[in-house]
Amino acid sequence: MRKLREHAAATALVACAALLSSHPALADTDLAPNEWLGKMVGAVKATNYQGTVIRTRGGRSEVLKVVHAIKDGVVHERVIVQEGNGLEIIRIGNEVHCILPDEKSVLVEEWNDQGALFSTLPSSDIRFGSEYDVSIVRTERVAGRQSVLLAVRPHDEYRFGHRLWLDIETGFPLQTKLLDDAGAAIEHVKFADIRLDENIDSQALAPSISTENFRWFTSPKRDITYDVSSVWSSDDLPPGFRVISTHFETLAEGEEPLVHILYSDGLANVSVFIESSGEEIRASHSRVGNSNSFSLQVEGHQVTAVGEVPAATVRRIASSMRPN
Amino acid sequence: MNDAINAQISAFVDGELPENEAELLLRRMSQDRALRQQAAEYLALGRAIRGQRTVAGMASLRDRIAAALDAEAVPEPSSASQSRDLKYVRPLAGVAIAATVALAAIIGLQRVAGIDETAPTQAVAEAESPGYTVPAPAPAEDKLREYYLRHAASSAYVGASSINARLVTLELPDGVQVEVQPEPEAAEETDAAEPAQPTP
Repeated sequence: MRKLREHAAATALVACAALLSSHPALADTDLAPNEWLGKMVGAVKATNYQGTVIRTRGGRSEVLKVVHAIKDGVVHERVIVQEGNGLEIIRIGNEVHCILPDEKSVLVEEWNDQGALFSTLPSSDIRFGSEYDVSIVRTERVAGRQSVLLAVRPHDEYRFGHRLWLDIETGFPLQTKLLDDAGAAIEHVKFADIRLDENIDSQALAPSISTENFRWFTSPKRDITYDVSSVWSSDDLPPGFRVISTHFETLAEGEEPLVHILYSDGLANVSVFIESSGEEIRASHSRVGNSNSFSLQVEGHQVTAVGEVPAATVRRIASSMRPN
Repeated sequence: MNDAINAQISAFVDGELPENEAELLLRRMSQDRALRQQAAEYLALGRAIRGQRTVAGMASLRDRIAAALDAEAVPEPSSASQSRDLKYVRPLAGVAIAATVALAAIIGLQRVAGIDETAPTQAVAEAESPGYTVPAPAPAEDKLREYYLRHAASSAYVGASSINARLVTLELPDGVQVEVQPEPEAAEETDAAEPAQPTP
């Protein structure tokens, strides 16, 4: 009921603002936190934008030039890394070309998602709800635009926190931070400048360099059997995590398929891979960017959990897997 | 494995092997798991002895392997392959870039804590050098890289986004890729019907 009242109040305010003000940027400042998330999701899916992004993690920063447009319902995107190897990513829907100028190579890949710049963005409402608090902190100026700062705080040490600076006018995320349990930023993505909802010229989405005489590569096709049932399950999942899907997948031609179970708390995702293992393996963990993994041997199988979660989470999930 | 090879690997990880010999060694390592493991052990040993977090040869290792990749005898695509329309690109199975596999196997992942301290089967090097990162055997590294990529792909269905997967791929350089070539007839049609640049 309270939420309904808040929603009604917000709607009334929006209506008043629309009538009384010529500044659309002020219209949505009274949205509830979850409504801001919803607005953000819509903005990420539908907004054309181009700008300069600074992405920092692990003490390393990189600058990316990004152009993103939706044309006839298809995502078109160009990302150019401004330093180092000058990587360019050209995306048309699910088809992706990764151009590596220094190796004179193009990797051709197929991505399944609708894509967005931010790796850790909560791209939908927090569906399971109880593991995080979402609140509005304050308004701030980012990339020359007025934004509202949204805090997504986890209740325990098994997931990361988020800070989202959303453009007040459109809901588009101008800045995001992924935080560990001590509040330190694991990843920071920020637009230094951005232009929103522009009519983007096709040339801006084309490769900036010629790929003449480049070598072209693609990954081998992979066998995946979706929505299977498995004897494996966890007997000690961290709170809020549940099974999203179970697949059989083949990593390489001729190999036995492995079991891939995807868990999610509605925001953070963890994959568990299980395959029979003839040889004894050492329990170990690794980290790449903001992802952690933990592997160990369970009843003649190698079990590995991977996800954008703290090390304790992948360890607990991998260690809790049992065949029934 | 003979002493000459051992000496060569040792020189290689110390950054002291001549360029031409390094390339030959890389090619051998790309086809020989035992050699890769040997190199990994030398890396571990070198770091343990020096008590430092970097190895002299490591800085140039990526460059050397990149050079090995460039020198690799793979067929050049025909002029028709400049067409970037994926409809006309098909994989040629089995043409793997072995050098990049060696790269991933040797350099491996950015391990931050390495072996689990509580695990029952700890490596000797780990015991001698607490906190030091011991590279896992090559096949495990390859597999782990594949796991990260599979996770990124499946997460996409429930909300995680694309750029992370690609950048993880770059941090775990180059999985097994196969070269693609366009079907000549189809590519010619494409060239005639569409501009040279891909249509965004």
